[in-house]
Amino acid sequence: MRFFALVRKELRECLPWMMLAVVSLLVLGGFVVWVRVLPENAYRYPFFSPGSTVSPSQLTRHSVLGGAGSVLLMISIMFGLALAVRQFWMPFFTRTWPFLIYRSVQKSTILWAKFAAGTTALLVALGPVWLGLFLYAGRPEVFALPPTLRTFWEGWFYIASGLIVYLGAVLVGLSTARWYTTRVFGLAFATLIVVTTLVQCRLSLAFVSVAVGVAVLMSQITHTFLNREF
Amino acid sequence: MTEIVLETQGLTKYYGGRLALDHLDVQIPRGCICGFVGRNGAGKTTAIKLMLGLLNPTAGSSSLLGCDSQQLTPAIRQRVGYVTEGHHLFRWMTVGRIERFQRAFFPKQWDDKFFADMIEYFGLSRKQKIKHLSNGQRAQVSLALSLAPNPELLIMDDPTLGLDAAIRRQFLEGMIELIMRQGRTILFSSHILGDVERVADRIAVIDKGVLRANCSLEQFRKAVKKVIVAFKDAPPAEVQINGLLHCRRRERDLELILVDIEDAQIAAWAHTVKADGYQIVSMNLEDQFIEYTAPENHRRLFRWEEK
Repeated sequence: MRFFALVRKELRECLPWMMLAVVSLLVLGGFVVWVRVLPENAYRYPFFSPGSTVSPSQLTRHSVLGGAGSVLLMISIMFGLALAVRQFWMPFFTRTWPFLIYRSVQKSTILWAKFAAGTTALLVALGPVWLGLFLYAGRPEVFALPPTLRTFWEGWFYIASGLIVYLGAVLVGLSTARWYTTRVFGLAFATLIVVTTLVQCRLSLAFVSVAVGVAVLMSQITHTFLNREF
Repeated sequence: MTEIVLETQGLTKYYGGRLALDHLDVQIPRGCICGFVGRNGAGKTTAIKLMLGLLNPTAGSSSLLGCDSQQLTPAIRQRVGYVTEGHHLFRWMTVGRIERFQRAFFPKQWDDKFFADMIEYFGLSRKQKIKHLSNGQRAQVSLALSLAPNPELLIMDDPTLGLDAAIRRQFLEGMIELIMRQGRTILFSSHILGDVERVADRIAVIDKGVLRANCSLEQFRKAVKKVIVAFKDAPPAEVQINGLLHCRRRERDLELILVDIEDAQIAAWAHTVKADGYQIVSMNLEDQFIEYTAPENHRRLFRWEEK
């Protein structure tokens, strides 16, 4: 009950950012897909010149959903940053940490409630829209080159990139070190993990990269949070 | 034997190289209302946060209801209320929503009727958003939130800071409401000595991180004295009397601030230095506090005058 009270409170605080993320992805992602629906653009992809030989894998790779994927990646990263700022930085400015921390739960429960709300916000805001775009782009009567399932899963790794950036920014917010020293470790490490994830050819390796990033950042955050003074 | 509900032992805190709290030893017995007073930056908030486990001590320890402050369990926290300095609550919440949020942490002990009565007494509505409330109203919500679970021990960090006289009085009456519930203990820090005098029965004075007094209010009131000693000629250059805190020299008299000295001892000293007469001037608590915690330069000025 206490945990859910905390999660509800956190989710409510994240709600405006969730709505912004949903609207941004719908508008920008939808626009990118819609542009490709136009007959003159349907088969025009930036990497293919007219008359060149194109392999089937290249075609699926640069499907109609490909452009929306980069929009998803950008929004996911920015949303992750916004969530971290809202959940972990703002209470320092509004001085609400003591009111939140001093209550009849373990300190770790508060942290897990924040994580649960942050992760849920990311997945709930971006996941269904991405699924919607995938289903729309997959209609054969509209698009000659429907996206593959791999493209769909790649989208979830873009969302996971937002989660990594979120955790990195949380670590930066909780750190008491100076800005120009180890404080930026969180975001620097998150950037490294995101790049590592995105360059992987195999989804399994991308998954390992995300898992390692989450594990390292979570353990750092937990240690910092439990020992931090508020 | 009186049960001790709050105890600190050699509690010390450094912020970097700056000493904020120096070996604080305090014991608060059950059922008392203790005013924790000190000037700005004296270390009151640091001490309270250390007691609640929100800060880590550099040295020493503290305990609440017999549990180490650094290891407070949710069960102990449930029995100890805390009103934060400045009453910083979640601004987006309404009064009703913050009540529901807070109630979730006290499922068995939350007193709905008491909260409703307090809100009504303060003239607040459950639909009002925290961000639209004034400082005083936020303080009232904060007090109602911490009193509704009926805590055994209530710790308040400068709860009346920035409130006008009328709101302060309402706030104190709210506190008295809790005091009337038997066996409750309150520790509250304040700058406003009138408030302390009105409700406290014990006082802890902290100055530059050092505990200067920890006694009953009555003892403190009796202990700090201002004495004006008149002389026919110039007063003596050297003043040697037990408990001397400050000495201000005028043309034909001395103004002494003395601590923990009997009237008979003052009379004997006045006789020894051949004083023309002396008068013990009554002071209110605020004057006593100001004199008691007057900065060192008062004494330096006196030494300079002596030369």
